[in-house]
Amino acid sequence: MAIQTQYFLLLSAAVFCIGVYGILTRRNALVFLMSVELMLNAANINLVAFSFHHGNLTGQVFSLFTMALAAAEVAIGIGIVLVLYRNFEDIDVTKAATMRW
Amino acid sequence: MAGAFDFVPAIAALPLLAFVVSLFAGQYMPKRGAEAGILATAGSLVLSIWTALTVAGITGSATSYNENLYTWVAGVADGAVTLRLGVLVDPLTALMLVIVSLIALLVHVFSLGYMNDEGETGLPRYYAGLGLFTASMLAFVFSNNLLMAFMFFELVGLCSYLLIGFWFREDGPPSAAKKAFLVTRFGDYFFLIGVVGVFATFGTGLFAPITEGGTVVAESFPQMAEHALEDGESFFGYSAQTWITILGMLVLGGVVGKSAQFPLHTWLPDAMEGPTPVSALIHAATMVAAGVYLVARMYGFYLLSPTALAVIALIGGFTALFAATMGVVKQELKQVLAYSTISQYGYMMLALGSGGYVAAVFHLTTHAIFKALLFLGAGSVIIAMHHNENMWDMGGLKDRMPVTYWTFLSGSLALAGIVPFAGFWSKDEVLFEALIHGFGSTGTLGTMFLVAYAMGLLAVFFTGFYTFRMVYLTFHGDARTDVARDPEPVGWNVKGPLSVLGIGAATVGLINMKPIADLTGLHIDFLHKWLLGPEEGGWPALTSTGLHHYEELMHNVAGIDPAYPLGETTTLLVSALVSLSLALAGVLVARSLYNEPEPVEHTDKLGGAKTLLMHNYYQDEYQVWLAQGVTVPLARAADKFDQGVVDGVVNGISSVSLFTGSRFRRIQSGVVTNYAALMTLSLVLLLVVFVVLGGGV
Repeated sequence: MAIQTQYFLLLSAAVFCIGVYGILTRRNALVFLMSVELMLNAANINLVAFSFHHGNLTGQVFSLFTMALAAAEVAIGIGIVLVLYRNFEDIDVTKAATMRW
Repeated sequence: MAGAFDFVPAIAALPLLAFVVSLFAGQYMPKRGAEAGILATAGSLVLSIWTALTVAGITGSATSYNENLYTWVAGVADGAVTLRLGVLVDPLTALMLVIVSLIALLVHVFSLGYMNDEGETGLPRYYAGLGLFTASMLAFVFSNNLLMAFMFFELVGLCSYLLIGFWFREDGPPSAAKKAFLVTRFGDYFFLIGVVGVFATFGTGLFAPITEGGTVVAESFPQMAEHALEDGESFFGYSAQTWITILGMLVLGGVVGKSAQFPLHTWLPDAMEGPTPVSALIHAATMVAAGVYLVARMYGFYLLSPTALAVIALIGGFTALFAATMGVVKQELKQVLAYSTISQYGYMMLALGSGGYVAAVFHLTTHAIFKALLFLGAGSVIIAMHHNENMWDMGGLKDRMPVTYWTFLSGSLALAGIVPFAGFWSKDEVLFEALIHGFGSTGTLGTMFLVAYAMGLLAVFFTGFYTFRMVYLTFHGDARTDVARDPEPVGWNVKGPLSVLGIGAATVGLINMKPIADLTGLHIDFLHKWLLGPEEGGWPALTSTGLHHYEELMHNVAGIDPAYPLGETTTLLVSALVSLSLALAGVLVARSLYNEPEPVEHTDKLGGAKTLLMHNYYQDEYQVWLAQGVTVPLARAADKFDQGVVDGVVNGISSVSLFTGSRFRRIQSGVVTNYAALMTLSLVLLLVVFVVLGGGV
């Protein structure tokens, strides 16, 4: 007997909220990156869940693409974090606040 | 086979080519570009004469020509106006083309003596200017519609600016050039509105209808105005009569500016700062003539408005007298001539206003000849006097420069209107027409003509006086300075044009000796017949620019009719005798005052009038006052309004957005967490809104 779809959705919502919470409260850029990954994966869970629910493979294929994209994103993100560290001797995101008006 | 009419555009294109050649290659030519100008104007003269012969029916069969050659802006929508360039050739055009190209040729030749031999610099620029000037005037003359006429009218104005300001390193010429440009531009502003008005009203600017095989293809605006008047139409809430008058007066603004009529005459005396050959060209054949020619060109339109005619006649009569009185006290040779020009163009306007179409064209012709002669003669004197123009420094030049003296005398006799020189015949006809039409026309129109006639008649006396004052001071008596005792000799290129024009001034009056024709019954009024056309029926009614048509309009619409208070012959004789005796009286007064070995100034006897005349009736002063005392404060007030109110509103609105922007940008903290919070909050808010509204938005 398969698990019902709403549990997947609940899981996805929980993971997503954890991600949002991380972004809103933490200052470490690496944690930021991880939080973003959490949110992305929450979306992936949704995609897979609905795909399963509708008996249609499109969502699952789509989530594969998303994961590939996420890998690229992480590469860029870590690059930014490295540059951040070089410039500020720190990876606190609130320190890099000069790119504004 | 190509006839003369196919080459008409070349009449203007040749001097235009000379303009380009002189401008770019003039400095490599031995005469600095004069060659191109002389060849081109000679070519134009030949083509013009050929055209005139064709119009006369001697070569070729067609005697008039009106074609659109180039569509400039094609109207697409219904009722849209199409702007075209085209050529209209009729007797008036042909006559004017010959005059303009003849004078231009002589002026080019004369310039060899006046400019090249005097070692002037910048000659390619000078000859280029002359070429463009001639080209613009010739194109203006054969324009077949009002807009094209306006364009070349403006080009003529531009060229006069360039040439009057030729010696731009001195103080006077640039300022005179600017004045000429601005004053004529003031008049042309009204002309432009008039052009737009004509196009808006009639949808066409054609002077004469275009015909094809005896049927009218495109109507002309004077004709349409005529029909509108017959049908009692109304335009823009005005009756046809009123509207035609308004349009006529607007176009007249340009005429008054260009032909230096009161009150826009002030530029012309200052324009004497330019080289003398240019003055000759401006005064005799081109710039100033353009205004009068324009009225003659659209005479069929002016005849529809008695009010406009009365205004033209009054302006003309008044200017003739007004300018003549100012010429009386001038000390410089060219200044006297300048005022005489204004005065003589006043006569032409008087003639046009009072229904003397032939007289006006006749005076335009004779004046072109004798005024070009007088200016070139003055130029010759100026060369001899080493560019001193003050008549009080001259004297006794008669024996030292006989060719100049005799030709100048011929021109002076013509200007003064002494029988049998050219000016007598034309001026007499102008006055005679004004007189008989004054008596014959009913109501105020007749009275206006008589008033204008009286002023014109009085001006005859002053004309005779100032002309011969000038002659006596310049050529008679003893030499008053060393230069006058030993003047510089002038060459063939000065004497040649003078001789041609001197003979012309004596004989050109023979083309229309109307008094003799009427007295003897001989048909020797050639100009009249030229404008009237072939014996049987005159010019085809379809062209509608013929004298026959004008005479009908004069009688039917304008209500101008001739009347002879003393019988036809007696009136003619009395009129001629009165004007001749007045002219002679002027000459004799000048003779008694100034024909002495050592003439003295008599202007002090005029008392207060002298100051008034010396200051040209304070015309310049009041115009400067108008500019500085009225226009400048008005402009300043308008500037205040613009800067304060208009810009203030705009600045106020922008300052509000600036302020809100400066507050609003503070949400851009640069801290990523804040952005994330904002995004999350906004998303939540959006979701809440969707929930509240039921998601059906």
